[in-house]
Amino acid sequence: MYRYILRRSVSGLLLILAVSLATFFLMFAGGDPATRMAGESGSVADIIRIREAYGFDRPIILQYLSWLGGFLTGDLGRSLYFDLPVSSILVERMFTTMRLGACAILLAVAIGVPLGVAAGCHPNTKIDRFALLFAVVGQAMPTFWFALLLVIAFSVTFPILPSSGLDSWKHYIMPMVVLSYFAAPAIMRLTRSGMIGVLDTDYIRTARAMGIVPRKVLMKYALRNALIPVVSLAAAQFGYMLAGSVVVESVFAIHGAGRLAWESILRSDLPVIQALVLCFSLFYIVLTFLADVVNAWLDPRMRIS
Amino acid sequence: MSATDTLLDVRGLRVDIPTPKGILHAVRGIDFDLKRGETLCLVGESGCGKSLTAMALMGLLPRKALRTADRLEFQGDDILSLPEKAFNRLRGNRMAMIFQEPMTSLNPALTIGQQLVDVHRQHRNVSTKEARERALFLFEKIGVSAPVERLKQYPHELSGGLRQRMMIAMALMCGPQLLLADEPTTALDVTIQAELLRVLRNLQEEFGMGMILITHDLGVVSRMADKVAVMYAGEIVERGHVHQVFNRPSHPYTRGLLECLPIPGRHKHMAHLPSIPGVVPSLIGDLAGCAFRQRCQYAEERCGEADIDWQQLPDGQGYRCILPVSSYGATSEVSR
Repeated sequence: MYRYILRRSVSGLLLILAVSLATFFLMFAGGDPATRMAGESGSVADIIRIREAYGFDRPIILQYLSWLGGFLTGDLGRSLYFDLPVSSILVERMFTTMRLGACAILLAVAIGVPLGVAAGCHPNTKIDRFALLFAVVGQAMPTFWFALLLVIAFSVTFPILPSSGLDSWKHYIMPMVVLSYFAAPAIMRLTRSGMIGVLDTDYIRTARAMGIVPRKVLMKYALRNALIPVVSLAAAQFGYMLAGSVVVESVFAIHGAGRLAWESILRSDLPVIQALVLCFSLFYIVLTFLADVVNAWLDPRMRIS
Repeated sequence: MSATDTLLDVRGLRVDIPTPKGILHAVRGIDFDLKRGETLCLVGESGCGKSLTAMALMGLLPRKALRTADRLEFQGDDILSLPEKAFNRLRGNRMAMIFQEPMTSLNPALTIGQQLVDVHRQHRNVSTKEARERALFLFEKIGVSAPVERLKQYPHELSGGLRQRMMIAMALMCGPQLLLADEPTTALDVTIQAELLRVLRNLQEEFGMGMILITHDLGVVSRMADKVAVMYAGEIVERGHVHQVFNRPSHPYTRGLLECLPIPGRHKHMAHLPSIPGVVPSLIGDLAGCAFRQRCQYAEERCGEADIDWQQLPDGQGYRCILPVSSYGATSEVSR
């Protein structure tokens, strides 16, 4: 197990390095950055000054290394738009989004897994039909529309929840529900199909033939195996919630990383975009790593490969 | 025989499975009994209902399958109407079962030790340590090398033969009086088969267990069985002591099965190895008359007219046929 974690960490670090390289070259994806920063009215002298000021005239490998070094020491460059260090803008926004995403994914798992287990244990019954209806509605309904429905219901018709910002726990409820209802259907479906598959296996028949009580068969012998694909899915969805929460953050006027990314793209604020892409990728890699470790704990067969 | 000697008493056991095409009568009213320490072999082709019979005894039928019987007694207790919860206390405890597929029958996510300990602690008020000691005791009986390490291993780290030994150990954790073994050696190679059969035989003698061994391999029957029940299309067509059935088969199907056995030196070429022509009839709906008559070379018109009565011979052998092998002049000895 420890050797597996070690091996997996090394490959994770290599992946991070590759991602940082790709992110760095994003800077040059739109042509010469100095020309772009100088703008349409910039003179040749301006461009040269910018090039020297930002070090664009150095060899590219040196630029990469100094950028990477800066990233490791927490210096992410300066935002072109705010004229502030990127780190000062980013950290707060990332934490807001991560907090919201963590709450949402926990809620999604807390709803999706038990519902999926119940549906998978009793396929084609009322509970199963209800779970499938719940999933279809969740997957078919656009996020922004569901968010607006909630706002109309709980902020306008019955004003019990605030409609914007993230100042108190009450502010978290609606965005959290919207985000988790986006993630829960897939988790439910995968748990359900996993459960149906596992309950049909020979080793569950063995557990029953040995007189293990049904609840233990379910919770210890079946669920552990059925959850293996769900762990990977939940991790991927958590990652997606960070980068893809633009819609929810816009509806509820939350100053999160998703919204910052969207705005920075509109403003061509490259240092911020770069830092965000790298942070999202890092987060994704860490999540996948954690998911793999959990899976290796759940399924010993994964520890070999 | 005294009543306490009888481990299992089965009368008129039926298993019916509703399908879109009609009700499938998978087991059609079978009778047998089993005494303590005795081995009964259920023999027959695939789909004749032998596995379902075992599952019905264990109360492990698929949810939609319906089990009925005139009598189903285990150690004198009626288990037909036993509530599920009480039945669960029998399973793995007083009756246990091992399965055909050792590669998939153990939980891949739990160590062997966890699975064995769980079974023991499910039925006995013992500590984990005591349960492990019980497992190690059984490993020694079963002939498992490096027993202490085995407890820490996962199923995927073990060979097929070793996994089946673990299944046997798991089934014996609570010292059951009845062991059902559904083709326990079919998936293994021949040398391991022989070894495992020997192990089963020894354990059975040592613990005085009754055993129902399901197999299609008559070689296994001759090595293991005290009594044989030959199943065809959900019915027992012939039943008796192994030497009676092997030496003096009465039902044409039994005789056919025995003739299909390859004899070294006699069937040098595949072309000479006899087989029973035709296929098992569909079990959906009622079967009038003898189910085997379409494949039976001796069948007459009256074989299909009415249900065939069970013929019980005084020496314990019995069969379901109106034209038993002895009646058409042929020698009842299988020509060998």
